Amino acid sequence: MTETAIQVKDLYISYRNLNRVSIKKLRRSSNPKDMRVFGAINGISLEVKRGEIVGLIGRNGSGKTTLLRAMAGIFAPNSGTINTYGNTISLLSIGVGFQSKLSGRENIFLSGLLLGYSEAMIREKLDEIIEFSELGDFIDMPVQTYSSGMYSKLAFSITAIMEPDIMLVDEVLSVGDAKFKKKSYNKMMELIADHSRTVIIVSHSADVLRKLCNRAIWINKGKIVKQGDVNEVMEAYENQ
Amino acid sequence: MVRRFVKDMKRYIPYVLYASKSDLKSEVANSHLNWLWWILDPLCFMLVYIFIALVVFRRTTPYFPVFVFSGLIIWYFFSRNIRASVTMVRSNKSIIKKIYVPKHVLILENMLVQLFKFLVSCGLLIVLIIIYQVPLGLNILYVFPVFIVILMLTYGLACILMHFGVFVEDISNIINVLLRLMMYLSGIFYSIRDRVPEPYNMILLRGNPMAFCMDAVRSALLEQKAPDFLVLGIWFAIGLLLCLIGLKLIYKYENSYAKVI
Repeated sequence: MTETAIQVKDLYISYRNLNRVSIKKLRRSSNPKDMRVFGAINGISLEVKRGEIVGLIGRNGSGKTTLLRAMAGIFAPNSGTINTYGNTISLLSIGVGFQSKLSGRENIFLSGLLLGYSEAMIREKLDEIIEFSELGDFIDMPVQTYSSGMYSKLAFSITAIMEPDIMLVDEVLSVGDAKFKKKSYNKMMELIADHSRTVIIVSHSADVLRKLCNRAIWINKGKIVKQGDVNEVMEAYENQ
Repeated sequence: MVRRFVKDMKRYIPYVLYASKSDLKSEVANSHLNWLWWILDPLCFMLVYIFIALVVFRRTTPYFPVFVFSGLIIWYFFSRNIRASVTMVRSNKSIIKKIYVPKHVLILENMLVQLFKFLVSCGLLIVLIIIYQVPLGLNILYVFPVFIVILMLTYGLACILMHFGVFVEDISNIINVLLRLMMYLSGIFYSIRDRVPEPYNMILLRGNPMAFCMDAVRSALLEQKAPDFLVLGIWFAIGLLLCLIGLKLIYKYENSYAKVI
């Protein structure tokens, strides 16, 4: 159980002069004033063990989402390394690669294939996903006819049922109506109860983090302020 | 890099196939005639060009409709892919911001969609060839190597343009102008060989890959002639080089795309 699932070492990510240029802007961009360097992550090192549930807290713009995206392999770090030891990793987010004119059922396949599962595996889980999403007959309607709640339910169901080794959760526990919220919360608990799964949750809700996580990391301005037992960190965060 | 490409392909081919199928489906999903549009669309523009060629210009060149249509479908395949590639990353923003995909997969997906439309148009071209009773021989097989060169050039150029399209905002305007220029220099509606004065026609035919490919396809279809294999080989090599440069650029920079868009 002490196997490391994710190791992040000295991570730096900045958004330096990567803004899009146009020909007009190009003439002026030699002016060094225009090159603003914005360090989103300034030297973070952390280790997450297999089976751990880690909560990330911090104010808006503190770099939480950037950190998750870097772990999911969407951003390249400027320096430092992220090792995920070959685990399947998925950023649980709303509606990856949905085609709004196609039915929910087809979008399950599209999204699943994009996440790297085989068609046979998706077919196997299809009924479970449809059932969990509570969409009923709507599953064969085009996604563009869905309400935003239904849309999020479908998206959540896909990632939750496909069960990647490492789940990165970005504020999605506030999905859908009260009933579905409770259900997705329970599903999270169930997924978490499986001790081989590693979860990293970003949330502003202290309640959720306290209930779900066993460890918390407080990030501010791209640096770790405090990490350790969830209750201690949350207390420090709330008393700042 | 080549090994990484093969690995990526293995993992993402099912997605590419499914996504291009869905793309095609969603294009026609809400229209009344549904999949008939895949045939009606090229059929209509074929009829328009036949009308222009025969009634407006009164051209008497033998098999002129076949001449125009064969050039036109190649041009559409090329230009649609190129135009889409420039905005490819931005138009797939929702995917790119949420999950890692090798970005060349997006190009391939779009190419498959265009390839499907191209093949439907080819079916119509065959009908046209039968109607006009163009005498065919085994030389028609020469269109296949030419088409491989077209595929390589399109893919390579699309990859490179996708990369620059992320960082340079107005590249799509530039590309639109260049594509229009290239279209008129490719001789879709006229024969470069006969209509352009002496030294320039061969320069144009050899230097403009689209003009060369169209001319090669037409001479295989209409005149039973083999293409100039030396020039074809050179363009194949250039195509391969473009593909390698494009893939290299994408692999090197693809993880900063999400930061920019």
